[in-house]
Amino acid sequence: MAGLSAFPTWLRVNAEKYLLITAQRRVAKANDLAAPLPALDAKGKFFTKVFAPIYRILPWSLRSKVLQLMPGSHRQQWSPRERKPNGPAV
Amino acid sequence: MAVRTVVVGGGAAGIGAAGAFKGANPGGEVIVYTEFEDAAYSPCGIPYVHGKEIIDFQSLFLATKEQYANQGIDIHYETTVTGLDFANRRIRVEGEGEVAYDRLIVATGFNYADPGVPGGDLEGLYYVKNIRQAMEWDKTLDNTKVAVIIEATPLGMEMIEAMIHRGIEVHVVDTRPWAMSDLADPDIVEPVQKTWTEAGVHMHYGVKLEGFVGEGKIRAVKTSEGEIPCDLAVICTKKVPNNELGARAGLKTGPTGGIIVNKRMETNIAGVYAAGDVAEIPLGVTNVGVQGLTGSHAYSQGKVAGINAGGGHREYQPVYIPWGMVAGKWMIGGVNFGETAATALGIPFVMGVAQGISRARYFPGMKPIKVKLLAEPKSLRLIGAQMVGGEGIKERADFLAMAVKTGITLEDLAYMENVYSPPIGALNEPIALAAQNGLSKVKR
Repeated sequence: MAGLSAFPTWLRVNAEKYLLITAQRRVAKANDLAAPLPALDAKGKFFTKVFAPIYRILPWSLRSKVLQLMPGSHRQQWSPRERKPNGPAV
Repeated sequence: MAVRTVVVGGGAAGIGAAGAFKGANPGGEVIVYTEFEDAAYSPCGIPYVHGKEIIDFQSLFLATKEQYANQGIDIHYETTVTGLDFANRRIRVEGEGEVAYDRLIVATGFNYADPGVPGGDLEGLYYVKNIRQAMEWDKTLDNTKVAVIIEATPLGMEMIEAMIHRGIEVHVVDTRPWAMSDLADPDIVEPVQKTWTEAGVHMHYGVKLEGFVGEGKIRAVKTSEGEIPCDLAVICTKKVPNNELGARAGLKTGPTGGIIVNKRMETNIAGVYAAGDVAEIPLGVTNVGVQGLTGSHAYSQGKVAGINAGGGHREYQPVYIPWGMVAGKWMIGGVNFGETAATALGIPFVMGVAQGISRARYFPGMKPIKVKLLAEPKSLRLIGAQMVGGEGIKERADFLAMAVKTGITLEDLAYMENVYSPPIGALNEPIALAAQNGLSKVKR
């Protein structure tokens, strides 16, 4: 699999999964709902007990910088069209 | 000499690409390869045929095979592409040998994530994708008494509705705590789940799938809370990019597994494009890649790839993902993410929530609408939204996606103008009410 970015993919898939689980647990508790299943395997424990708490205490600006450094389409050339009206259109 | 573009994949992205290529380059040659018996139908419509809301599968086709042929789109059905050779600009096709191309568009779509449990080879496990198979499964549904939906994803929700309409006893099994919990907040889904309860749906949340049980054919779904006897299981797991063909040949993939593309849908190989569920696109709000979007995203990406392959110039843009669906007696929808996903990502936000109405309060058919808006705390720029209501959700989701894209703030929305006409709009627009609520939480 020459084209696969193995580690970033592994990190993204697991970070996404377990960060969502921890957020769902928090929101479920606030809404008096059943919590998602606890992660029982080593990987799940690492991501929920170690990764998620560390991720959570880092400021968004730092997290965002790290995310931008990951490979992916976001590092290609894109032209977001952000524009504000500047006076009457005609 | 005519430019030859080869498209691998006959779904929304592939057919969009082929048509757009012919539009940009009428003298060019375009060949589409698909493993399936058909191309360009609406797989999103399959649950509604199962639910008898759409009369037949034929309605889901966009055009006939003859119409594509008349447009100069040469579609090779039931044909497998086994390899891509970028150095020599050729592809390997089962039964055809090597086929040369000038431009190549990879639109190989998605696969459902493997549930990864024993019994995955039993009969009676339904993956909703191929329309011909759906036609056969539809006959099976006539004799199905109990169905289990594996994961309450958007497709899972549509299939729950289909089973309800079909009079089939339906169970849903999901490790997560509520339906669509990766995308939707619990208060948005709660009214939907209430209607499901009324309809007799058995919801097994926080429950792990452990296997499929049976002798040749499924007899039960095994879960962490015991076995659920059933005739059928519908696998509605997450969509993962079908990137194997492209990645094996050297196309770079991003962290989502989707093929890395730029605004022209170009990959890391010159003359090779990717589009649809196999591609990774940046989310506008965070500039982080996402994958597995909607059919409209796939079609648009295909058109961009096709036009550029045909010598034209078209740019795709980062996405903001308006979404919406009918669920139970409600419509739900939103833009980007809600409270749960923003919390997961650790994105700071201020939230405004309001309960409004869809028409004048005295007008027959008036329905409630709940709107949640998420904004960046400093600039108050809108970054996400979630809604549940009786009507008017799709239009608001589309509008709010443009609002996020163009940098609209809670202040802009709080004092927005709105249509007031008793049969179609209330005096107070629910979006404006939610924005006002959000502003009231911010001391400026």
